[in-house]
Amino acid sequence: MRPFELSTPATLEAAMDTGGTFLAGGTTLVDLMKLDVLTPRRITDINALPLYGIDTGDGLRIGALERMSEVAAHPGVYPMISRALLLSASQQLRNMASIGGNLLQRTRCGYFRDVTMPCNKRDPGSGCSAIGGANRMHAILGSSRHCVATHASDVAVPLVALDAQLRLRGAEGERTVRLADFYRLPGDTPEVENVLRQGELITEVIVPRLDWAAWSTYVKVRDRQSYEFALCSAAVALDVAGGVIVDARVAVGGVATAPWRLAGVEAALRGEPVARASFEAAAAIAGHGTEPLSQNGFKVSLVKRTIVRALLELTEGGSR
Amino acid sequence: MIARLDAAPKVTGQAKYAVDHNFPGMAYGYVVLSTIANGELAAMEVTAARHTPGVLGVYTPFEPLELRTPISQMLGEGWVPLQDKEIAYYGQPIGFVVAETFEAARDAAALIEVSYTERPALTSFAEGLATAEDAKTGPRGAPSLSVLAEGVESIEDALAASEVTVDATYETASQNHAAMEPHSAVAVWNADGLTVYTGNQGSHGPADELAQALNIEHSAVHVVNPYVGGAFGGKGATSTPAFLAAAAARNIGRPVKAALTREQVFTATATRPATVQRVSLGARNDGTLVAVRHDSWSSTPMSRSFIEPTSHGTSREWYATENLAISQKAVPLNIPPTTFMRAPGEAPGSFALESAVDELAVALNMDPIGLRKRNNSAAPPGEDLQWSSKHLDECFDIGAARFGWSERTPGGRVDGDWLVGLGTATAMFPGLRFPATVGITLRADDTAVVATSGADPGTGLLTVLSLIGAESLDISPEQVTPRLGDSALPPGGTSGGSTATASAGSATMVAASTVIDELLRLASSPGGPFDGRETAYADGRVFADGRVFADGESMTFGEVLRAMERISLTATGSTAPGEERTKHSFGSWGAQFCEVRVHRLTREIRVSRLLGVFDAGRIINPTAARSQLLGGMIWGVSAALHEGLDVEANGRFANADLAGYLVPVNADIPEIDTHLVEYPDTLLSNVGARGLGEISIVGVAAAIANAVYNATGIRLRRIPMMLEDLLED
Repeated sequence: MRPFELSTPATLEAAMDTGGTFLAGGTTLVDLMKLDVLTPRRITDINALPLYGIDTGDGLRIGALERMSEVAAHPGVYPMISRALLLSASQQLRNMASIGGNLLQRTRCGYFRDVTMPCNKRDPGSGCSAIGGANRMHAILGSSRHCVATHASDVAVPLVALDAQLRLRGAEGERTVRLADFYRLPGDTPEVENVLRQGELITEVIVPRLDWAAWSTYVKVRDRQSYEFALCSAAVALDVAGGVIVDARVAVGGVATAPWRLAGVEAALRGEPVARASFEAAAAIAGHGTEPLSQNGFKVSLVKRTIVRALLELTEGGSR
Repeated sequence: MIARLDAAPKVTGQAKYAVDHNFPGMAYGYVVLSTIANGELAAMEVTAARHTPGVLGVYTPFEPLELRTPISQMLGEGWVPLQDKEIAYYGQPIGFVVAETFEAARDAAALIEVSYTERPALTSFAEGLATAEDAKTGPRGAPSLSVLAEGVESIEDALAASEVTVDATYETASQNHAAMEPHSAVAVWNADGLTVYTGNQGSHGPADELAQALNIEHSAVHVVNPYVGGAFGGKGATSTPAFLAAAAARNIGRPVKAALTREQVFTATATRPATVQRVSLGARNDGTLVAVRHDSWSSTPMSRSFIEPTSHGTSREWYATENLAISQKAVPLNIPPTTFMRAPGEAPGSFALESAVDELAVALNMDPIGLRKRNNSAAPPGEDLQWSSKHLDECFDIGAARFGWSERTPGGRVDGDWLVGLGTATAMFPGLRFPATVGITLRADDTAVVATSGADPGTGLLTVLSLIGAESLDISPEQVTPRLGDSALPPGGTSGGSTATASAGSATMVAASTVIDELLRLASSPGGPFDGRETAYADGRVFADGRVFADGESMTFGEVLRAMERISLTATGSTAPGEERTKHSFGSWGAQFCEVRVHRLTREIRVSRLLGVFDAGRIINPTAARSQLLGGMIWGVSAALHEGLDVEANGRFANADLAGYLVPVNADIPEIDTHLVEYPDTLLSNVGARGLGEISIVGVAAAIANAVYNATGIRLRRIPMMLEDLLED
């Protein structure tokens, strides 16, 4: 890790003025600094800023510095948010990592993390090592010929399903952005991952009220039982009346360059009976437009299976 | 329960590992690695690195530290870094930067610009199979061997004549030991010579290698390693940081500390080879094996440092068969060095053989345990020397009853969304011992020191020494101070081949008997407390007139020494494998049982129950023994479902860190049941123990694959097994 200047402002205004890289839980920043992937000269520790609190009055408002473990344990949080958080990382990391920082965590692509290897996201124009390399963990949706790295967050998946918004604060003032619009696909500029402006900070995560999301879940499929990123995950919520699906929310993780809401699957579920056949027919749509790589073709099947499993576990309470 | 003597210092942080040693004026070294897999160093631009504040030395093959190639008795010709410009693998040590701080050394290392004359690299095992060569004749014999019944011309004929045959090819991945303690060293020179603090499997070997490499007297090198954070075969040879720290410390005249980063450990040490194995089994309809053929290919580096002896480690000995043919090929690649890793040969070999036996049981429609029992061997095929003590059938019987094997159905069962299957496999590891010398010192305060140079890298040897020492001296373990991990001690107790207990244990018994003889001689010598009288020893006491009885005239050994104004009395005892090997074959045996659950949709494989029943001779410390067994079985789960180095075309390991090289977490490991049938094997050594460090990993991967087959009907022949291997669309 390289030497840096540390400031610990107490107010948002002061934080804006530092021009430093923001440090919250440090679970991404410190990790990547150790690997020399990030080499900030100035670091602004924002933990003293008043960005705490979980308000469940109308929908959900979560201060950006709330720790993952605190959010997961809050009784007013929709089940799929809570489950996604609890299936992330380890207890120690969840105790440190903030909800805002979680949404900004960098990809786990091994080439991004190894400074000796070409990576367009870390070193624009240097090339993508994953396309012809080890890409089993990589994306089948939302990728480009410049980058195929998956977005690593679990909780971002239910949050896009719930159409969450972010409050942002920068030198030019405050604004609100839908999380789905916040992330940018890699395209020609994989180094640009979101619409945050220089010096701008996430201050709050807002989840619009959706009462039927009380019936929701998150399923994560991975290579070991804990402390591992998703090969594929699915957040699902259903609004059911008389055995018929009135509305649905479905998003998937581990398979795309951003948390990936599947509006087509949601539409296909609407009006259908709560039944395995409906789930399978709707999940098949998740395979549309997928672009598998040399080692991750199985994800095309896995993403459909994971959605069906999540819907079955939600409706039948299948065993875990 | 017998507590591990090193438990408290370890869990309270009092245990000082190699890099926990600090000295005034100490500098820090950082190793630089190659980023190509084959070629030659053309140039290394080090000016910027050398001018980095705090940098004390930059060493490369262009400006090397002088190191000579050592030759070790156990490992053959060694390798020392920075001595030539040839690059044979990605991640090869090519430089060493020494600075006032670790950070300065590392940052300066990043400024070194390396240019290479690159040559095409052969890194793919699959592609390398075409240029496979016969393995060298090793300790287990010639690469190919066959035993044929009278009148049988070839193994092909024997297989063709078999009523039922199975024939399949299995693959196992290359693995790294990934010990918690990375390879590291602190080197200090003073007027007496060199002291190196470095984790290893026995301090004598590295002391010898360092003396040779640095061209100094053996007596001038002192290697210290009282605590070792895991070794598993990966710390047998002297590590790159130890060689470089010692040489650099001499060069700059200051102590030097060097440790590999976690990422560097994966390439700058050595790994378990990858293997491909073809197994053909022929049997009669009643399940009697009549032909076993096992052909193996092992990856190996261009230096041919080591091949994984999968055929020799399993099919050579495990089952009775009239016809046997095994072969071993090496596949030289531009990959990091290969070496011993937990149950070398047996662990990956058993995945192939024990999967094949399960396939044969399916083909025969026989119970897999029944099939194994039918083919139990009394001696290795074609050999006269019978197993000294083998109770494998009992292991299977006990295991089957404990595990509920009778509930198993050929198609497994369904529990909610999970497909549940049971599997079993045989485990075996040879019964070996190494030459060992142990010193025992009786002290005037009625305590004793039992000392040998070997290591306790978590195996429990330290506690075993105190227990066997106490038993042999007929005193309580509290009176015994065991000492390990210092090359100044008598040479013995090297951690390797599951031999330490049998080797150091039997030498302890000899040393005890010698020191007691000397004590008695001393006591009855002129001026001794029992001058001119016969003496006898029991219960830590010397008895007068050669008679041991309660209230008899006696003195403790401490009282004898005090009476003679002696501080202590020392003797050594040495043992070595000998004529017992001309009378019997030796091996530990076991039966592995496993239950797996496979999700019917998303196909994750999770192990839900494990049982291992083992026949490993006498057990010295049941607590530590169980701990060793658990570690090995968990490692078997890891090998089956998680661990595997992913070698890219350019020779880079794609997953060279613990985020990418997965090992199980607690949630992956179910309750594990172990049981030991305890039949002391005094034909192997007088201590009766055969050792059980390695046997418990053996067979686990096959038991899991066999259970997956039972659950799903899908036969997986490659480890690690991944969920996509079970996705049918």
